[in-house]
Order: sequence, then C-alpha cells, then structure tokens
Amino acid sequence: MRFIQPLCIKPCPLSGFSSSDWTPFHLTPGLPPERADIVIVGGGVMGWSVAYWLKRKEQVRNAVRVVVVEKDPTYSQASTVLSAGGIRQQFSLPENIQLSLASADFLKNINEHLNVVNEDPVDLQFNHSGYLFTASENAAHIMEANHKTQMCVGAKVILLSPAQIKERFPWMNTDGVVLASYGLENEGWFDPWTLLNALRRKAISMGVHQCFGEVTGFKSSSHKVETGDGDLLRLKRITHVNVQMPNSLEKQPVECAIVVNTAGANSGRVAEMIGIGHGPKDSMPGIPVPVEPRKRYIYVVHCPDGPGLDSPFLIDYSGVYFRREGLGGNYITGMSPEESEEPDISTLDVDHDFFHNNVWPRLAHRVPAFESLKVSSAWAGYYDYNTFDQNGILGAHPLVNNMYFATGFSGHGLQQSPAVGRAVAELILDGRYTTLDLSALDLKRILYQEPMLERNIV
Amino acid sequence: MLKILIPTIMLFPTIWLTPQKWLWTTTTSHSLIIATFSLTWFNLNTGTGWYTSNEYLAIDPLSTPFLILTCWLLPLMILASQNHMSSEPIKRQQVYLSLMVSLQMLLIMAFGATELIMFYIMFEATLIPTLMIITRWGNQTERLNAGIYFLFYTLMASLPLLVALLSLQVTTGTLSMLILCYSDPMPFFTWSDKIGWMGGLMAFMVKIPLYGVHLWMPKAHVGGPNAGSMVLAAILLKLGGYGMMRITILLDPLTKEMAYPFIILALWGVIMTGSICLRQTDLKSLIAYSSVSHMGLVAAGILIQTPWGFTGAIILMIAHGLVSSALFCLANTTYERTHSRTMVLARGLQMIFPLTATWWFITNLANLALPPLPNLMGEIMIITTMFNWSPYTLILTGLGTLITASYSLYMFLMTQRGPTPSHIMGLTPFHTREHLLITMHLMPVLLLITKPEIMWGWHF
Repeated sequence: MRFIQPLCIKPCPLSGFSSSDWTPFHLTPGLPPERADIVIVGGGVMGWSVAYWLKRKEQVRNAVRVVVVEKDPTYSQASTVLSAGGIRQQFSLPENIQLSLASADFLKNINEHLNVVNEDPVDLQFNHSGYLFTASENAAHIMEANHKTQMCVGAKVILLSPAQIKERFPWMNTDGVVLASYGLENEGWFDPWTLLNALRRKAISMGVHQCFGEVTGFKSSSHKVETGDGDLLRLKRITHVNVQMPNSLEKQPVECAIVVNTAGANSGRVAEMIGIGHGPKDSMPGIPVPVEPRKRYIYVVHCPDGPGLDSPFLIDYSGVYFRREGLGGNYITGMSPEESEEPDISTLDVDHDFFHNNVWPRLAHRVPAFESLKVSSAWAGYYDYNTFDQNGILGAHPLVNNMYFATGFSGHGLQQSPAVGRAVAELILDGRYTTLDLSALDLKRILYQEPMLERNIV
Repeated sequence: MLKILIPTIMLFPTIWLTPQKWLWTTTTSHSLIIATFSLTWFNLNTGTGWYTSNEYLAIDPLSTPFLILTCWLLPLMILASQNHMSSEPIKRQQVYLSLMVSLQMLLIMAFGATELIMFYIMFEATLIPTLMIITRWGNQTERLNAGIYFLFYTLMASLPLLVALLSLQVTTGTLSMLILCYSDPMPFFTWSDKIGWMGGLMAFMVKIPLYGVHLWMPKAHVGGPNAGSMVLAAILLKLGGYGMMRITILLDPLTKEMAYPFIILALWGVIMTGSICLRQTDLKSLIAYSSVSHMGLVAAGILIQTPWGFTGAIILMIAHGLVSSALFCLANTTYERTHSRTMVLARGLQMIFPLTATWWFITNLANLALPPLPNLMGEIMIITTMFNWSPYTLILTGLGTLITASYSLYMFLMTQRGPTPSHIMGLTPFHTREHLLITMHLMPVLLLITKPEIMWGWHF
C-alpha cells in the first residue's frame, strides 16, 4: 500500500466513476482511475474515435468504462493535428475505399453524431473540392483498374483526359499527364483539430475519462500453451497499464480488461513494451509491429495568382501535392521523400532546402502560376508509417489477446478514423466486424507476411 | 456447541504459527473438518427444542441451519481467496485469514446466543471484520465509500435496537430466548410502543436488506473482494432475518398491524430490484440486486408471522445463501481472468469454458427457483402464505417471480452465450480449485432436495 501523505484536507474529486467524489486523501489531480474496462493508449483522432464508438455502441449507459491516455496535452507532436486533413476515396484496396466512404458520410452528418446539448455545433470546414490524381503513361492502366474498383465500391470518381483536365482546370500544365482521376463527391479536406475536439467533447460527454499521462509499460500475466504442431507459445494478457503522470515520477497502474493501441507513430514502441517483437527472429513473438514514425513536411505558400477557389487536392505522379488553404490565396504543399532520403525523426524541424530542391520545381512544372510564390510557413508531422505495406493495422495480436491495434495508416489515418473507430468498437463489443468487413487489414497479415499493398500511381 | 466454537478460535494460532507453505492448505482443511463436525448439530432433537450445554450458547431448529451454513462457508471463503491473495506478503495473508476466522467465530456466537443482548453485541461485532475486509482488500476506490455506507446504515439502525432491548429487559426482567418464548404477550398500546417496535426491527430490516434501506448492499458487494461478497451474501444478510425471527416473539401482538407497510415495501422491493437487475452492466452489481430481491421475499415471509412464512423464509435464506455465494464465486472467476466485471466484455464464455457454463446454468436455474431445488420450496411457501394473508399479493409475487426468471436468464445469456470476442479466446482454463469451490456450493443445495425437513425450523 502506497503511503499517501495528506497534503491538505480539501477533498479532491476522485477521478472517474464513483458515485460520490468525497475522499479523505488528497489525490493528485489528473490521476487515471485505478481500474477501467478499456484503456485507449493515444489520444489522437483514432483513439477518440474508438472511445466515441465504444460509448455509442454500448446498450446500457455506462456499461463500459473507457479511459483515453494521452501523453501530450498540447498535442504538439500529434500526427492528427499536423495533418493536411484530406479525405479521398481514390485507393486501390476496396477496404480503404469503404473506410473513406463511411468516414465521409460520418463527416458530412457530423452534427447528427457529435452534437452535444447546449454546446456549439461542429463546423469541420469540410471543403468538398475533391482530389485530382494524375498519371503518367506507364501508370495509366493502374489508374484505370483502380477507377473500376472505386466505382464498384461506390465512390464517385471520374477519369479525365488531358483535354478535359485543361477544360476544368485551365491553370494546370498537362505535360506528361496521360490520365487523371477526379473525385466528384465525398472528397476534399477538413480541419483535423476540429474533428479531434468534436470527438473528444462528445466522448467525454458520454462518460469517457481523459487522462494525460504517458504509458510506460504494462503488467501482464502469461501462460504457456501448446499449439497443434507441438510448439510452445507464451500467451500474454495485459492486466495493468502503467501510466506515468506528466512532469512527475508518480505512476498509476490502471487495471483493465482491454487495451487499444492507437498511439500513432509511437505504436511500435508501445507494442514493444508488452514484448511484441522480442523473441527469436522467425517465430511469432519475434515479429514486431512494423509501425514507426516518418517525418513529412508541409509548406504553406502564398500565391495570389494561384489556381483559385475551385482547385482540388492535386496529387501529381511526381509525388508532389498541394491544396488550397483558406480563401486568401494560400496553399499548402508537400511531397513524400524517397525511401533513401527519409528525414531524421528525432525532431520536428523543417528542412526548407527540401522545398527548394524537390517540391518547388515539380510544383512549378505542374502549375506554372506557382513559379512565383512565397513560403509563409512550414511545419512537420509524423506519419504512423507501416513499413510493411503502408496500410492500416487492425485487430488483436494473437499472442497478446487483449491488445487491439488501430494504427499504421501511413498518412491516411485521419480520413478513415470515424469508420475505423466503429470497426474496432464492433470487434470489442460484438466480437466481429458487423458493418464493414476489414479482415483484410487484420494484424495477422503481418505475421503471415502477406502484404496488402496499395497500387499507387507513382 | 463448544466443540465447534473452540476449534474455530484455535484457528487463530493455526493461522499464525503454520509455515507459509502450508498456510492455505491447513486453514482450508481445518475449517472443512469443523464444518463437517458441525453437521452433527442436525441430529439433536430434544423435548424443549433447545439444545444447550450452558445457558449462554444454545441451538434450536431455527438456528441450526444458519450455524451449519456459517461453518460450511468458511472453507469455501478460504478456497475462493487463495488465488488473489497469493501475491500479497505473508503477514497480510495471515491478517486476512484471521479476519475471516474472527467473523466466523462472532457469527457462531451470534447464531448460538441465547440472550438477546449477546446476540446484539455479536451482531454489531460482525460489522468490524467485514468492514476491514471490504475496505482493505476491496477492488477499487469506491470501496471506501462502500465501507462507510455499510457501516453507518447498520450502525444507525441498530442504536434504536439497543435502546429497545434494554427497555424490554427492564420490562420483562430477562432477555434470554429460552425463557422468553413462555412469556405472556406484553401490553403494547401507546405510540411509544409503536416506536419501540420500529426500533426493535429497524436494524434487522437494514441488514436483510429491506428495499428502502438497501443501498449499502450493492456498493458493499461491488467494492468488496470475493470472500467479502460471499460472506456478506450468504450469512450476514441472514443475521438480519434470524434476528427478526427471534425478536418478533417479544413484539407480538403489535406486529399484526405494524408489519403491514413493511410487507408491502418488501414485495414492492422484489419487483423494483428485479427490474434494476435487467439494466445492470456490472455482473456483481446484478447479483447483489438479485440478493436484495430474494431477501425482500424473505422479509415479507418473516413479517407475516405464520408457520409457513417462517419455514419458507428459513429455506429461502439457506438456499439463497449457497446459490448467491456460488454466483459471486463464478463472477469472481470471470473477473480474475478478464479484470473486468462488465458483462459486455466477457461474453460467449460457454465456448471456452464448457464445464463452468454448466455451473453457471445450474446456479442461474437455482436463482430463478427451479423445482425441485429448495429455492422453489421457500418461494412457494412464502407466496402461499402471502396469498392466504391477502390474495392481491399474488400480483406482486407473481410478477416478482417472472422478473427473477428474466434477469437470471439475462445473466446466463449475456455471460455464456453469444459471439466469443477474440480477447476472450486466450483466457486461462479453470483450475480444479474453482470447480471444487462451485461444487461445494451446489452440492448442499442439491442434497437439500432430498431432505428439506432439516431446514424447516420449528415446524418439522
């Protein structure tokens, strides 16, 4: 039993779920409750989406006790708020398309879902301007095949010839572009910070407990089982989550039944805390969760003679992208670097040379108006990059039965977060997927080494 | 009597002097031997009904079933606590066991007391070890709150009881139950006599618990450890019923008119708490409310003061004690594995724990009073005697039975049937100890089908 020195007699509200807040001890404010049913590690948009859907799906009020643990109350390095905020259905995997479609539906009706009584309605600033992907000659067939899949699943995407592109978007230079696909509905961009706060506000109003602290480890119980082939496996079950309070040495173990790992770029590290990845190389315990942070830059540029209000989110086959930001002639732009040129992830410092050497030339080639622009600001954020196949990882790990994953989306997590939250909540509460079948994105594909790669156009 | 009480007291040195390796084995087996010996109490038929070796401790057909239940429950409690106590330091384990043994000792003395003041002292004294078990080893921060509710509800209600007993002592000259049964009914006509009646019974009504004063019970169950819930549900509630049965000897004929609102409150409580059960998400809370529901029926049976009422009350108390304790043990096995008492997170258990699903099934059937189990016998007797008193109570008791069946079914379906979520797949299998625990709960219930007369109290 810890010795709790009574620092003052003033009663402090007991964090969480008790019917009365009185306690004779002065507890540190902000401590997580001693026990909860589901602990969500990571308070980004994915974590809060899962928390919201868990509360929404429970049939009796306060049936499940959910705690969301977030390391940084300022969200200064969270991928969610540093994201470009785009949403598109132009994927090649049907599951990805379905996720984006369902999420777009959620976002379009966001006030039906996330409205809290007596609070302001949510305004996501959802610009429905669509995405425009361009394809060069050697990739046009891939784009056509993807287009067929997208139409099958229900996305409203059209293919444009260079002439049609020129008609719609006269500011574009169609040099080298053989085909383009343009999303007519449910595509565009929105404000990720608003979505995060709306989900958070609604989830807290439904009884989810928010705790600011860092998950430093897990306590687990384990037992050995023998598989059919005679191999000995060690199955672990998380019993407690160790949460360390910010700027303090104080730790609180939170007893829980289920842990959901939505830690984004840090998911791989969190998975390592429970021992996933520690083991002989070829065995199941030895395969780590392949999510690591990758830094991506976004540059805000000002160009008064730029493409204008109806410009879509352009993604060129050279890798550069841009979209309009606001109504004052500002645009944000960026590019995914080559594998060999991945920037250093230890800080979020921006490399402006990358813009001058890589982004600007390609951007100016595609949009001549951008030859004269001024960089007003820039920031960097982390992708929760799935090094295996750059698509989301969902589901529970076979060796740690009660840790569910919703991570590794590698840049398209924000747009899929509402639907992914619903899927994870279904897994936990119903035992299986009921609305969208996302078994293709299950964690087991990492263990079977069967990648689900997107057929990108680049 | 002393043949059982002295060995129970000697369990204290057993706990503190046994080497660590043998602590739990020794205490379990010794308490089991004491429990087996206590079964000899069933054999004692004397002309007066009381079997006394001295004038302070005695047993009669009313107290025998409760005494044997108390003695039987101690090895079960020790068996149930073994797992979750194994991680604590040895001194704490010994303190925990000492608390349970002291509770046992006080309960034996309470049920065996011949004098009402001694009964009162033991009744109050049982609060202390229970409070310690709940607040120290309970599950979550609410246990402090739970302990306070538990302590102060009973304490507030039992102070008037002390006053009533003392004033009765002055009036009647003695409070020995051996003599009181022969006394004349006392003249109770004034308002202060009515308040005295209330004072005499309030403590037991809180303990039973009657519907309006039942709030402490779900808190104490949810906040307490497994053994605490077991002893609470199985025995401590019965202290209230037993006390009510003893003290109403003194309070006739006032009971005929004063009991009316409390009978109706009890029956209404059966329906209300049954309905609350249907909306519970916490498994232990559901079982706690189901306990309140059953004990409401018991309270009605006792307050009605007829032979069948008393008999039904005793049978239902014994059967409910065993079955409710078994349900708490089963809920605890789920809790120890998934670390959550939320029902929605532990579904579809039948697929991975088939034998335990059988125990769940039998226990839930017993809870909903399936014939030929003694639960049904008790309920039927109480329902019949209520019907005799007033036919309209059949609406309430019938509805209560229906709701009891539905929440028992709900509990079974939610935990056992349904899709098994993937996080349940890897749970550790059941230990023999846990199967033994449930068997030892259910075996007496099943055996009592064959000879329920031993529980019929004075009307055998």
